[in-house]
Amino acid sequence: MRTIALFACVIVAGFSVGAYAATEIVHQQGRAFSAESITVKKGEAVTFLNDDTVPHNIMSASKGNEFNLGSQAPGTSTDVSFKEAGDVQVICAIHPRMKMMVKVID
Amino acid sequence: MPTQGSHRSRLLVATVASTALGVLGFATIGHGAAVVGESRKVEITQKAPGGVDALKALYRRPATIPFPKDNPFTPEKAALGKKLYFDTRLSVTSAQSCASCHSPGFGWGDGLAVGVGHGMAKLGRRSPTVVNAAWSAIYMWDGRLPTLEDQALGPIQSPGEMNMKLDQLMARLASIPEYKPMFDAAFPGEGMKPKTLAQAIATYERTVVSERAPFDAWIDGNEKAISEEAKRGFTVFNGKAQCAACHEGWNFTNEGFQDIGLPSKDIGRGEYLPGVIKMQHAFKTPGLREITRRGPYMHDGSLPTLEAVIDHYDHAGVERPSRSDLMHPLDLSAQDKADLVAFLKTLTSELGPTAVPVLPR
Repeated sequence: MRTIALFACVIVAGFSVGAYAATEIVHQQGRAFSAESITVKKGEAVTFLNDDTVPHNIMSASKGNEFNLGSQAPGTSTDVSFKEAGDVQVICAIHPRMKMMVKVID
Repeated sequence: MPTQGSHRSRLLVATVASTALGVLGFATIGHGAAVVGESRKVEITQKAPGGVDALKALYRRPATIPFPKDNPFTPEKAALGKKLYFDTRLSVTSAQSCASCHSPGFGWGDGLAVGVGHGMAKLGRRSPTVVNAAWSAIYMWDGRLPTLEDQALGPIQSPGEMNMKLDQLMARLASIPEYKPMFDAAFPGEGMKPKTLAQAIATYERTVVSERAPFDAWIDGNEKAISEEAKRGFTVFNGKAQCAACHEGWNFTNEGFQDIGLPSKDIGRGEYLPGVIKMQHAFKTPGLREITRRGPYMHDGSLPTLEAVIDHYDHAGVERPSRSDLMHPLDLSAQDKADLVAFLKTLTSELGPTAVPVLPR
């Protein structure tokens, strides 16, 4: 019984981590982010939606909030939530003109 | 009553299960990093490609050259920059200038497969053109320098290129009497220093702009400016061949970094973004203006002709994890290829001669 409960907890945790309600959607049409800067709370998800015609590689090297979505095909959406308060510089590794800031607050 | 061992094994199984969820894409939790959720397919509304007229509107030449706010254009700066650009005394041997590798005679490149540096040693990559550098977002094949001012000082100091230490260069320029008043006029109150040297060279380089080509006349409405073959090539370029996915806009580049599958060990942009798979073997997309004057082609000069370049894209190159998702066999016909070459040739202008300046003594 305890084993089942333990597995249930693990599965619920596994789902819930990736299932934050997205509060901000960042579009990528025309090799440009739809916003220069957005503000989100810690743990809130930002949805990076590639609604462009080419792949993008959205990432950040900002300390404590590093992430790399890899090659994101057109018609793909990925949620990212941030653990640390502070400014997160988000870029597309492929297209250097694509830069934006996510301000993460407590 | 479970034993401690069985409890540990259940915890282990639970941990493995949790990890598996992450691997399957439900959640990826990096230590001290952002949390990345699963990727989802989303229905997106792609704009239906417009006709040729809609496409042509995307290629109109800009009216002005962009100069940065912290280094605005002045004629004095550009004139000084031109002298410095052509002055071989900027290299330790006094034998190489910026123009040695970026010559107006070769479409502002050097016509070689790879550059030649200090002591006539071959460099690892082809000398990129300076044409239209004013519109670039990032510099060098691997994007390691953020501004044209940084780029101006890079090759001067590089041991493999001009091999000149900046303090030695400043002393050398100070010993040439005619340079000082030129620096004072171009940079009142600042005078001669590495920063102003870089600003002067970068200002001159920004004035190196491709002149109007037959393609521009066609864009502006002259239907006789280019051949029917070239017009078909423009359609192939923007359609079946997908060239415009990277070579977009009036200067035919979005400045992006792609691994296009060339069989080279050089990891390019990967040196600066080591954790990003798609940046291994990735190089900056060059513009295509004056392209017929700029062969051989690619970052390593490995393709001698435009026909060879088109064949490379047609076959999609080496398949590897870093290769751009845009690269796949194109199945171009002989007619498509000939049309593409005809179109690319319309991007070359009747470049006027560039006068070599009289240098300060």
